[in-house]
Amino acid sequence: HPSPFLTPPPSAQAGTLALLHLRRDHILPLHLSPSPTALANTRFGSFPHSTLIGVPWGSQVLSYNVKNAPGDRGSGVSRKRKRGEGEGNQAQGAQVAGDAENGDGEGEQREKKMEISIAGTGFAHLLPPTPELWTQSLPHRTQVVYTPDYSFVLSRLRVRPGSTIIEAGAGSGSFTHASARAVFNGYENGRKEEGSTGEDRRGKGRKGRVFSFEFHEPRKEKLQEEIDAHGLGGLVTLTHRDVCEEGFCLGTATDPTTSNNNLDTAPNADAIFLDLPAPWLALKHLSRRHPTPLNPTQSVRLCTFSPCMEQVTKTINTLRELGWVEITMVEVMHKRLDVRRERVGVAEENLRGGIGVPKDVSEAVRRLREVTREREEAQAKQIANSRRRREGGGGGEGKGRKGKGGGEEHMTSRMHRREKMLREAESRKLYREGRLVHRTEPDWKTHTSYLVFAVLPREWTVEDEERYLVKW
Amino acid sequence: MNSCIEPDTYVILRLPSEQLRIVEVKPDTLITIPKLGSFPTNLIIGRPFHFTYELHERRPDEPFSRLRVVPANELHGDALSSRDDAPDGVDDGSDEPETGAQFDIVADDGSVLMRNNRLTVDDASRQHLTHEEIEELKKVGTGSGIELIKTIMASHAALGEKTEFSLAKYTLRKSRKYLKRFTILPLDVTNLAESILEREAPKIMELREETVALACAWSNAHWSEGTGEEMTGRWLVIDDSGGLVVAALAERMGILYEDKTVELEDGDDGAPNEADANPDYTADTTRGTEPNEQQPNEANPAGETPNGHSTPRKPPRPRPDGLPLNRSHPAAMSATTNTLTLLHPNHQPNIGLLQYFGYDNSAPVSSHPLYTHLRTVSWLQLLHPSEDPTYIEPDVVSEDTLAAMKSGKRGNYYRKRRRWQRVKAVVDETRGGGFDGLVVASFTDPKEILKHTVPLLSGGAKVVMYSPNVEPLTEVVDLYSKERKAAYLELKREPETKTTQNGGHPESHDDDAEKEMDADFPVDPMLLLAPTLQTVRVRDWQVLPGRTHPMMTSRGGAEGYVLTATRVIPHSGAVEARGNASKRRKTEASAGPSEVDSDAGIEARAKRGKLETGSEMEVEV
Repeated sequence: HPSPFLTPPPSAQAGTLALLHLRRDHILPLHLSPSPTALANTRFGSFPHSTLIGVPWGSQVLSYNVKNAPGDRGSGVSRKRKRGEGEGNQAQGAQVAGDAENGDGEGEQREKKMEISIAGTGFAHLLPPTPELWTQSLPHRTQVVYTPDYSFVLSRLRVRPGSTIIEAGAGSGSFTHASARAVFNGYENGRKEEGSTGEDRRGKGRKGRVFSFEFHEPRKEKLQEEIDAHGLGGLVTLTHRDVCEEGFCLGTATDPTTSNNNLDTAPNADAIFLDLPAPWLALKHLSRRHPTPLNPTQSVRLCTFSPCMEQVTKTINTLRELGWVEITMVEVMHKRLDVRRERVGVAEENLRGGIGVPKDVSEAVRRLREVTREREEAQAKQIANSRRRREGGGGGEGKGRKGKGGGEEHMTSRMHRREKMLREAESRKLYREGRLVHRTEPDWKTHTSYLVFAVLPREWTVEDEERYLVKW
Repeated sequence: MNSCIEPDTYVILRLPSEQLRIVEVKPDTLITIPKLGSFPTNLIIGRPFHFTYELHERRPDEPFSRLRVVPANELHGDALSSRDDAPDGVDDGSDEPETGAQFDIVADDGSVLMRNNRLTVDDASRQHLTHEEIEELKKVGTGSGIELIKTIMASHAALGEKTEFSLAKYTLRKSRKYLKRFTILPLDVTNLAESILEREAPKIMELREETVALACAWSNAHWSEGTGEEMTGRWLVIDDSGGLVVAALAERMGILYEDKTVELEDGDDGAPNEADANPDYTADTTRGTEPNEQQPNEANPAGETPNGHSTPRKPPRPRPDGLPLNRSHPAAMSATTNTLTLLHPNHQPNIGLLQYFGYDNSAPVSSHPLYTHLRTVSWLQLLHPSEDPTYIEPDVVSEDTLAAMKSGKRGNYYRKRRRWQRVKAVVDETRGGGFDGLVVASFTDPKEILKHTVPLLSGGAKVVMYSPNVEPLTEVVDLYSKERKAAYLELKREPETKTTQNGGHPESHDDDAEKEMDADFPVDPMLLLAPTLQTVRVRDWQVLPGRTHPMMTSRGGAEGYVLTATRVIPHSGAVEARGNASKRRKTEASAGPSEVDSDAGIEARAKRGKLETGSEMEVEV
């Protein structure tokens, strides 16, 4: 399968990843199953996988009513359960309804056939996966490197099609996916071949690769499943290892035959991204000394991603000692903005989303006049009433009636105004009214991490210099 | 292209003042840096990037200076000598190996006490050297400028009174002014943008690196590989930044740089030298020991190397007519996958910045990837192709007449035919739509841009709009607001009798209603999903032992905003209500024993429309 991240087919295909966009920031990753009983249950309804397969990307898809869903014990509510069959993709977070016998084909036969019909309410959008959407929807295992950070890191590290990048601390895999897209320039064919491989890894037509390291084994296994399921296996080499101890050259450090500068084991990296608790401990493995995981023919760029200043200080001190240059430290500050229309005015008083304050001074004056007039009228009535009462007699009874009557009076005028407003609002185009305003979204990530960047120029010997002096 | 400095390319020099200067690396010439001096280009050709060089003292018989690579430990001398884990004041730098190269003035006064600035007198009179004397010292020319800085510092009467912090600042200020150093950086999109931002930010719409990075990430632009005959990996771009956005996208799609590495790396040049595993790249400090080796100067501008070395450099020489050099080359704009289509408002696109990457739009080199992968279409060609003369087929001339023509005229005829073929193919393909993404950085009204381009996108395609200011983008978000979508659906449902199923826009019989419709819904609000407005800014920090803090000042100007959204295919849209999408879905659905027939489907859709506009609405914003 080609990766749906890199070369998505024009429509959703069985056996690959698709994203069900339910609402903003609520995206459900689905590994589409060819099984007719595979279901995605969401708060916006059920989406049988069979109704999503073959649908063009970006389509609005309707939710279905599902009868006799496998595992459904006649209650009408389908139980959420992970299918045995889709085991490899449990990490997708898809809520796939499984049959009671846990994916046993015979079990399906025995049960009543599942029936689906369009529900009439509820829909979602079916989107092709991108690293950005995946970052929003992936199952969190560690702190995630979000788009503003990883986009900037990949830009500063000059990761381009054909580059090789080392990533240590793969974590939840958001950076892994983004860097796989950035380095992708085709899949390597016959990498194992001797001789030609070396040229390919360095020269023209070099294929981009991601060498990813994770020291937490269960996390590594989960990520490996995802990478395989997403068709990125040909680009990403994931290794379970503590890079601070063992370095970045593949093969074991103790075995001299595999830890030499063999191109099959040395990543030959152009860029390094370290998302580690103690990145300074890994730096000693990133020297130009043999065996080096670095690309010997060019400047190598490094980024470390640390939340705390103490980590930054230690990292930078070590970088300076090891001869890295162009050392900079930045933080990326990102904001998302809400845009809405702010409708202000007396007419908004009873409407949703409006602010019932006078929109200007004249409106305030107008309303004051109106209220004053109403009050005067009420007062005049009251005076007239009490005069009538005085003339007619009957104290206590009249007193009660007076209070009640005045309140009613007031209420009716308010209700009247309200009804009138609601009636008017129906013909108003509220979506065009008011002032367009924007503000930072309620949840604002004010700090992710400090980013340290550095460059290690290629080695340049006296001999090199002399050669070029002659040449030029 | 990160490997080494190639001849006939551009590089960026970073000066001590942090200024970036673009220079062309023309072999056998001199590069002159005002106030610093000049040096022969040949001394940097073939050398690695990111080296910091120091200009040597000029020899009396030479009009230029020689270079010395400043090793990293010298660059970091200041920071390393005042490590904060060293006991305060004890580590005064006296144990530095090369005292000559260090600013040991900083630490020479080595007082153990933590000073404060209570008693400092800030007055120019405290510097005993006069301006004239400094100028004199500069003329005498003490090479790197370090000596000069030392002299200046030594002449400051109250250096001892300065706190560690103010002393560091003072040293830095003087270094920036007098140090004769520069660092060579590769000219890539980021560095180019950085250097333009300094001088003429509006030219590139004040696009900062982080904003470009964010926009490009969301655009999902990446290298794409062809899958058979289908055209894949096509991005639509509108660019008022002089080509910066095109360059940034092309960089991510792997079509910006010409791959010249093979030509330059003669043999296995780049292999690491196993014999010399010295991790310090301290090259020899003096260069050009034999003066006759290289005598490049203005007197010999023709570029003839005196020593007769025939070097494998191939300066690209485009044909003036911009046509392929020979038939075996692919035609311009002919790539079908991994392409950028630039929509431009003038007859010729304004993408001048691409010249720094070896691509000149008026005379493109056929070996450059952009030659085949960048297509340009004007708004007129897109919207009214028949009004564009280049789109109209030139008359076909019979073979006989052709044979009788003069060669120049015949060539002209063929050129016109070829241009027409190219324009027609590109325009038709663009109008055919199916793009994978749209990236807009333009001052043109976004409403109109979206109106004409969003329908050209395939489902799931990403839309990214950049604006230096937020207001144009808030308007766009508002055009796709939840409330507007609801009103649009309502409107489409109501005048069922008046609505024709045409382009998704309910057409009204009377003109006023149509105008009102256009004013209310300039774009079909159902075509974009989840428009999100964001802004990003990078804050630089100074990290020095005991002196870590964010930078005190940085560039202001436009904040820069990015809008992202996804092109979707609305289900109830008039376009595809009974089209392939829903039909295919139904056949798939029938795999399960569904009782859905087409009538029920339509009914359900109608019902949904009603429910959607109710209070339990789930319209996506």
